[in-house]
Amino acid sequence: MNSIISDGVIHVSDRCKACDHCTSVCPTGAIHGHLGQKHTIKVAKCINCGQCLINCPFGAIEDQTMVTAVKSALNDPQKFVVVQEAPAVRVALGEEFGKEPGFNAKGKMYAALRKLGFDKVYDTEFTADLTIMEEGTELIHRVFKAVGQEGFEESGPLPQFTSCCPAWIKYAEDNYPKILPNLSSAKSPQQMFGAVAKTYVAEKLGVKPADIFSVSVMPCTAKKYESSRPEMIASGYPDVDAVITTRELAQMIKDAGIDFVNLPEEEADKLVGTSTGAATIFGVTGGVMEAALRTAYEILSGQSLTNVDFKPVRGLKPVREATVEIPIQALGGKVLPVKVAIVTGTKHVAPVIEDILAGRSKYHFIEVMNCPGGCINGGGQPIRRDIYTEGGLL
Amino acid sequence: MTTFAEKEGMTRRQFFKGTGILFVSAVFMGVFSKIGFDAYAASDEYIAKRAAGLYSLDESMTLRKSHLNPEIAQIYKDFLSPGEVKPLTAKSERLLHTRYGNEIPALIEELKNPNATAENEAA
Repeated sequence: MNSIISDGVIHVSDRCKACDHCTSVCPTGAIHGHLGQKHTIKVAKCINCGQCLINCPFGAIEDQTMVTAVKSALNDPQKFVVVQEAPAVRVALGEEFGKEPGFNAKGKMYAALRKLGFDKVYDTEFTADLTIMEEGTELIHRVFKAVGQEGFEESGPLPQFTSCCPAWIKYAEDNYPKILPNLSSAKSPQQMFGAVAKTYVAEKLGVKPADIFSVSVMPCTAKKYESSRPEMIASGYPDVDAVITTRELAQMIKDAGIDFVNLPEEEADKLVGTSTGAATIFGVTGGVMEAALRTAYEILSGQSLTNVDFKPVRGLKPVREATVEIPIQALGGKVLPVKVAIVTGTKHVAPVIEDILAGRSKYHFIEVMNCPGGCINGGGQPIRRDIYTEGGLL
Repeated sequence: MTTFAEKEGMTRRQFFKGTGILFVSAVFMGVFSKIGFDAYAASDEYIAKRAAGLYSLDESMTLRKSHLNPEIAQIYKDFLSPGEVKPLTAKSERLLHTRYGNEIPALIEELKNPNATAENEAA
């Protein structure tokens, strides 16, 4: 068993000033220590989200790094190194190079990765689209089972939860084993990409799967844990070999002396690098829901959707809900009001789960993202120290 | 006769003292709430800006629905469900789906011995 699973991703260093701020941020109460005493993290309870890390005023919390493994793979001529990047990385990476939050660094990010020596620069957004196909179809099957359509008896119960967030998955496994049948069985886009890279991509490019080293750049520390999970070996190899955060990628770009802001824009490689706008919004709370609705609506109704913006699911409120009326072609155009909910911040998910377990829930589909605001505010993103300095608090 | 009842109204000095206290405390309250508000706003602001970045990227893209991605159609037709676009086939279940909690050890066994599972399914 590797150390990330047994020791956890997040650690408190000796620089801890015991200010207790992290305990108020932690969604699971995994951080222990009295005021004035160096804090420690309970691995069993920690969901590796890294919210404590990005919120620590003293920068005293650290995540385990896999950068060395990535660098040695890049230097190994035997290895065919492929890379995927999550949607949220491209709107925050620029901040490490003096750009505003939200700056679109997509083209420069691809260019920088090629300069770093990656053999193929693909995109996690491709498998985000693939997630919608699999998870969306799974949802449709669960709805058909619930309305009594024949042939869908094997499908799972409603509501269906999204399964893209590894912190949320561990939270559910640790605290609510009874709710696990409600989780979509679809892997997260990162893990789908890993499995596809060492099978489909290997086949198409004529590369041995054993020679492929699969790297992912994530806004997230829990993704390091997810890639290390022992069951993530569907390709016959570890599907994802190493995960680095947005911060670590920025550091690698700086170490290599690349002039990031003046890089020309490039495109991702074809085959598994093309994506749609639906995949891009996976990085923000409500985005997975909106992407799923766009596809589910068209498939269920058989009609083309002209306005793709589902505004009610957007926003930063911790719990939001919406009803989308979808005419179901298979039921002769009968309109089904699909009730959805979006939770951002694992602290707010418990009441939603309790309602389901008590049979009070009215929802069909629920999106959960652990970090407030979604992956864009993940534990692997650039740290905004200006929160503490510009406001004049410290 | 002199009475010891409290004087009605307010002296000039008392009025100055009272307004002084009110004024100073109002200024302090304002300053503190301003700092507090700013810190909170700043912490939300960068999240909102990153979100706006993703939404404008979405709007700038020609394709905005996952099932219209041509490479998605290709991976189904060439690999996951040969000849057609069909999610949830045995192959996609194996590569793209997982299980949770106490079902994981069995899943690991199946992934490590794919032949045994195929035989079970055939039987």
